[in-house]
Amino acid sequence: MATNDGLKRIVLMKKMISVLLSIALVLGLSSCTKKEVSNDKVLNLAVSAKIKGMDPIYANDLYSSNEVARVYEGLLEYHYLKRPYTLVPNLAESMPKVSEDGLNYTFKLKQGVTFHDDKAFPDSKGRELTAEDFVYSIKRLADPKLQALGWWLLDGKIKGLNEWRDKYADQPKVDYTEEVEGLKAVDRYTLQFKLAKPFPQFLYSLAMPFTFAVAKEVVEQYGKEFINHPVGTGPFTLSEFKQTNKIEYTKNPSFRKKVFPSESSPEFKHMLTDAGKTLPLVDKIIVNILVESQPRWLNFQKGRIDYIGIPKDNFDSAVIPGKGITDDLKAKGINLTVTPSLDVTYTAFNHDNKLFSNEKLRQAMSAAFDPVSSNKLFYNGTALPAQSVVPPGIAGHIEGYKNPFFGQNIELAKKLLAEAGFPEGKGLPEITYDCPSSTISRQIGEFFKQQMSKIGVRIKVVQNPWPELQKKIKNRTVMLYGIAWGADYPDAENFLQLLYGPNKSPGANGSGYNNEEFNQLYKTAAVLQDSPQRTALYEKMNRIVAEKVPWIFGVHRQSYVLFHSWVKNYINADFNAGQAQYLNIDVAAKKEASKKL
Amino acid sequence: MENAQAVTTNINKPREEKSKSLWRHAFETIMKDKMAVVSILIFLSYSAIALLTTFDLVAGDWAKEVGGSYTAPSAEHWFGTDIFGRSVMAKTLKGTQVAMSIGLFTALISGFIGVLLGAIAGFYGGKVDEVIVWFYTTFSSIPSIMLLVAITFILGKGLLAVYLALGFTSWVSLCRLIRGEVMRHKDREYVHAATAIGGNDFRKLFKHILPNVLHIVIINFSLQFQVAIKSEVILSYLGLGVQGRPSWGTMIDDAKLELARGVWWQLAAATLAMFVIVLSLNILGDALRDALDPKLKGK
Repeated sequence: MATNDGLKRIVLMKKMISVLLSIALVLGLSSCTKKEVSNDKVLNLAVSAKIKGMDPIYANDLYSSNEVARVYEGLLEYHYLKRPYTLVPNLAESMPKVSEDGLNYTFKLKQGVTFHDDKAFPDSKGRELTAEDFVYSIKRLADPKLQALGWWLLDGKIKGLNEWRDKYADQPKVDYTEEVEGLKAVDRYTLQFKLAKPFPQFLYSLAMPFTFAVAKEVVEQYGKEFINHPVGTGPFTLSEFKQTNKIEYTKNPSFRKKVFPSESSPEFKHMLTDAGKTLPLVDKIIVNILVESQPRWLNFQKGRIDYIGIPKDNFDSAVIPGKGITDDLKAKGINLTVTPSLDVTYTAFNHDNKLFSNEKLRQAMSAAFDPVSSNKLFYNGTALPAQSVVPPGIAGHIEGYKNPFFGQNIELAKKLLAEAGFPEGKGLPEITYDCPSSTISRQIGEFFKQQMSKIGVRIKVVQNPWPELQKKIKNRTVMLYGIAWGADYPDAENFLQLLYGPNKSPGANGSGYNNEEFNQLYKTAAVLQDSPQRTALYEKMNRIVAEKVPWIFGVHRQSYVLFHSWVKNYINADFNAGQAQYLNIDVAAKKEASKKL
Repeated sequence: MENAQAVTTNINKPREEKSKSLWRHAFETIMKDKMAVVSILIFLSYSAIALLTTFDLVAGDWAKEVGGSYTAPSAEHWFGTDIFGRSVMAKTLKGTQVAMSIGLFTALISGFIGVLLGAIAGFYGGKVDEVIVWFYTTFSSIPSIMLLVAITFILGKGLLAVYLALGFTSWVSLCRLIRGEVMRHKDREYVHAATAIGGNDFRKLFKHILPNVLHIVIINFSLQFQVAIKSEVILSYLGLGVQGRPSWGTMIDDAKLELARGVWWQLAAATLAMFVIVLSLNILGDALRDALDPKLKGK
């Protein structure tokens, strides 16, 4: 998600930050009135934010997009049991044929997939999904009148789509029948994309809820109310979405034959007991919206929620560092899963500022920063120090690599600072550090100030409301700023683009870093398909930014999630759209375990 | 609002014994009130702490790490330590400086605006009065928190912005009171006398009338002082207050996260410090009114 690229991206970034800061979020809670455990397989989840609505093109925050993905589906999805993340066909029959120049993608659709029954269709019977539905859905994403929040995803990517969007921007009505060159339904089940330029990450966008398939009849039937009437092809149905604190989904009776995967990465082998079973595995999902962390935590402990990300300040009462969860929780049969998140926190220099073209100064400041204490203070010691920009878990991350200017080394820092021309900080002006206005952000800023004072660098912490900070970064009126980035898709390109010179503000490169060597490598790698050659380029770029210190790196966070003994197949994933269909509930075990809660 | 007819003034009233001045009388009244004396002492000691911390004679090393993160209160650190291992005691003391300076400057700014506008409106009446009354009525209909937030957005961050923001938003009640009092006084004989010997408006207003309504300003000052301290805490809690130095508001902001892990001392220290000064100023304000407001004489 971009740090500074117009409002739509701001909102996205905000989502990511809140995701990152509050560790993990999705949890569940069951009906409070029933004391007895029901015999139905009911998944009790909870989310920590209001759901904006059920229209895929507006689902730009984690919470809404997860809800959308229970009802709607896309061409592709991530293999549930495979890491690193692997794309597999979902509504597509198979992975697409890609032309040699990497510009044309041809998809065959599964046949016999139907939309949920709804009064918008003739006889209220859901009709079959066709390639035209995808053409329509993606045009909706580009429709200038709808102001879709996910447009950035395909902006400039599909041939003719931008032109189509611009053409209708000032006209009273948008013509969906006009053909767009890069987006064609060749026949009923064949869909063809033509890209404007090579973009190997294109397929990832087809696994994001923004591009999921909606039916034209339904959109037209409900008009503005469409956002509250989700009708997709997915495993669950929701008759109407209301702004309440509880959303109840039921199993889609006409869901196509989709089965639990029978292959997995070694760490998920134990989940293969469900292999071959028809999805979804549960009959019902109850999603409870619980914004405050304490009620979530208490409800989880009572077994009314199936899994929960541990709230930061309850961490000490749940986890003993190095040992796992407390005996108390263990006795209740609760399990812990720890997963690195695909993200990075950092303090960026504004490279437009002459002061920071002094590489030694940047290195000195990086060497003065103590990531170990920072980790302990702000992440309960659970995060992984970030040696460079690419997080572990995706190609481009260098296992075991040690950044020479990372990890506190005051002596080195002082030496570098002297070499930079500012012995003991003499001659250096006061440097401002801008951060968002939350309590934790301020504390992180104060910590940074404290660290820098050890080598005589004076820092002034300035808090800003989120939009204000974005504006300041865009207008280049910052010196240093603290921020984080969470992956949109599992590809190092999504991180490296943050430092690519031509991407500078208002693009994603908020720090304005511009290094010719890096730019060349990036340009080469950006058009390559996943290959050892591309990975080598990624690693080389990753190493360059570690040594040149365009940012002071922070940490890659890890998310800690607790789940009850009766929840089967739970995996904590960065990209968990559609996850609910794979989860299973052991009703007998739940009855047994509930006695102990 | 005061009703002019019901008031008996003690000015120009012949007395048998040597008459005490209003101020002398007020001083004696206050000295008889033990609570008020204690409040004054507390106020003076807070002021002293604020002055001492300004020159780094006390709590100058508040930024130093003195122990581990979140050390509980002990004989060594009375109020424990914060997330970075800094002494909460030192932070609280340093926070006094922020609180007292904000109280003082805000009360001064709002006093100045309130007295000036109130006096002009009350004295001249007519169109001038209408304009000023319209202005403060409109102004006071804007929720003050919104106004505070808006002003800090415009002025940027920092102590000066907080002084101005709080000063600009808290003058209305004083302005109303002064306007009413000045209206009441401007037809008094002593004012006519001043006119007769050729006093101009400025002289009549500031030399003759103002000293007679000054008690309202003083009472208001002490009340405004504590309102400003509270408002600063709210602003800092919202992340709009002082930056880069400890204040009670930021301490409470920190505490909202710490409480879940059982760290209560930062909240306790900041609220205790605030509680004592706010309570003292309230008591003092009451005592001042008792002593200075002629209508309450002999109650």
